[in-house]
Amino acid sequence: MAASNRRARLSPLAFTFVLIGALIMVAPLIWTLLLSLKSNAELVGNSGAALHGPYTLENYQAIFGNRLTTRWLINSMIVSLGTTAGVLILCSLAGYGFARLDFPYRKTIFVLVLAGLAIPGEAVVLPRHQLFADLHLHNSYPGLILPGLVTPFGVFFMTQYFRAIPRDLDEAAMLDGASRFTTFFKVLLPLTVPAQSTLAVFTFLASWNDYWWPLISATRSDMYTLTVGLASSQMNYAQTSGLGFLMAQAVFASIPIFIVYLVFQKQIVRAMAGTAIR
Amino acid sequence: MRRLAPIIAAALLLGSCRQGEERTGIYLQRFFGECGAVFGRDIDVAKAEGECGIITAMINKFNAENKDVRVSQNVVAWPGYPQLTAQVAAKDPPDVVTMHSGVISDYAANGLVEPVEPILREAGIDPASFTEASLRSVTINGRIYGLPWDIHGGLFHINTALFRKAGLMRGDKPVLPNSAEELLAHARQFKARTGKPYLIQSLVGDPAYQTRNLYTYLMAHDAVIFPDPRHVRLRTPEARKIMTFFRQVNAEKLGTQNQDTPAAIATFMNGEGGIYPTGTWMIGQFEQEAKTAGRPLHNSYAVVPYPRLWGRQASFVSGHVWVVPTRQRTREERSALARFFRFMAEHNYDWVRTGHLPAFKAIVDSPQFKALPHRAEIAPLASFGQPLPGYVRRQAAIEGLIGEEMAAVVNGQKSVERGLTDAERRVNELLAQLD
Repeated sequence: MAASNRRARLSPLAFTFVLIGALIMVAPLIWTLLLSLKSNAELVGNSGAALHGPYTLENYQAIFGNRLTTRWLINSMIVSLGTTAGVLILCSLAGYGFARLDFPYRKTIFVLVLAGLAIPGEAVVLPRHQLFADLHLHNSYPGLILPGLVTPFGVFFMTQYFRAIPRDLDEAAMLDGASRFTTFFKVLLPLTVPAQSTLAVFTFLASWNDYWWPLISATRSDMYTLTVGLASSQMNYAQTSGLGFLMAQAVFASIPIFIVYLVFQKQIVRAMAGTAIR
Repeated sequence: MRRLAPIIAAALLLGSCRQGEERTGIYLQRFFGECGAVFGRDIDVAKAEGECGIITAMINKFNAENKDVRVSQNVVAWPGYPQLTAQVAAKDPPDVVTMHSGVISDYAANGLVEPVEPILREAGIDPASFTEASLRSVTINGRIYGLPWDIHGGLFHINTALFRKAGLMRGDKPVLPNSAEELLAHARQFKARTGKPYLIQSLVGDPAYQTRNLYTYLMAHDAVIFPDPRHVRLRTPEARKIMTFFRQVNAEKLGTQNQDTPAAIATFMNGEGGIYPTGTWMIGQFEQEAKTAGRPLHNSYAVVPYPRLWGRQASFVSGHVWVVPTRQRTREERSALARFFRFMAEHNYDWVRTGHLPAFKAIVDSPQFKALPHRAEIAPLASFGQPLPGYVRRQAAIEGLIGEEMAAVVNGQKSVERGLTDAERRVNELLAQLD
């Protein structure tokens, strides 16, 4: 209550700007939703037909009518959650190591990790594909998850976060007899939850929306992720003769992301604000 | 007896497994979309509609009629080549795959797809039964690299109601130009009488449109576009003449401006222009509009091959082909492929209901095919249609480069000379990089 009282009231001018901005951002989403609720035949000649009825769920029925859609959804869930969990574990450990531990060539290794930020994924896709082929990892969950675990940004992000935590906490814990792992796991790690939330959301989103690697690694339709599976369902000229179906696919694919944002909204906002202040 | 029970059960289980293994598998990869929700179990091909529906029903029917062969489908995102290349690199290609004829050369040059004469022989398919355009589209250095399935190319889709208003109908037939000058005269007359553009042009994000026009009219001049596998020849008087003409159409606003493909299609369907030069694949959609009362195209649709504006009648065409990636195969697997080819050849008529032209002469000449709407008018395309020579690689990329430069010329962003020079240079640079 007190917090809400402290909130500054927007001036009418600022409110108008915010409202206009919000409408500009929401308009394409509403347009997509309306298009998804129209029959393809009606939209071919005039996409403006989306602004009035009759509306239909036939495009969504076509999505669910495909026996593989549920499989693709599950694949995307497994890959995105697996990648997210792996990134959080690896980046937390690496971040703690770079921020707190002394070991030979620490700075050099850290610079090498950061150098990875400058290398686009496309530059390594050929050797990576060959490597995964040699290891028989294509068309498998590890084949889809493992490349996503390599994230220099995540390591950098968590390192910076750990560095910002006062070392006094480590020393106090050690004085109380905590081991290094206990200090990491029970004292420092809980303090990084806001950063982990941010990293988790970014990783989940990137993994969920990834198209290129699943396209060339998961070449069997039962191993497609949702993005690749939905793309494979489209006919050529989907943007004309299948516009409603195309938009229904876009809406359908974004629903899990929307749910993630709704559930973790507080953590995301808090993390972003905390990161900004820091 | 109690001890024997598990053994009997295991034997039965193994027996049932063996029964399953006796079916020879064909792992088929295709584009055209996924429509299992509508046609997942259909085997009545005659009732299926659209590319996706017809191919799905055909494969269902093949599986139903060939109990000892099992075709499993892998539907890939259009056009499927990144996936196919990845599968080839991982040494796990499909058994048979849909491919555009212009792409075959890229795979054939590296030995990644097989010549299929032995399979055709076993299937009882004589390559002489292919249409001239189809045979050319699958032949590279004298070898045949797939079962051609159709031919598709550019057509003039015409709004006859607007043509009548413009005084460009003779009886039921639209009057088409016989020269570039005549086309300009018709276009000016059309615009003056209807207030609408004569040509609907897809000038934005559609390089295929520009390239198709240029290739078609260069072929009409009997110009050699690719004198050898490493070079394109575009700085020629013929190319200058063609591009100057299309530039003039645009400059006089006789065509629509700044439209992409969806906008151009909508423009034609809404009766806002006279001619939309696009492919065979749009016939079904436009015919549906022509049959629907109240729609702008109702009873007002005709379609013909590109008119002869210079030289001889010609048209650049491509085709869909069933291609066999190179891999080790058993005798049974080859036989299964031969049966699949024979089935697809026998059902070529069903496929061409999509709007594409048949790959077989017998179908082109059949009354059944000619009875389909507009097919009698466009059938000649199957004989005079011309793909690029089989030795030309990177045809899709080249189409993008040329189309981009030609769009700049037509839009007035580049001079004709500059555009053709840039296109030639960029294509030659690309071809120089090939192994």
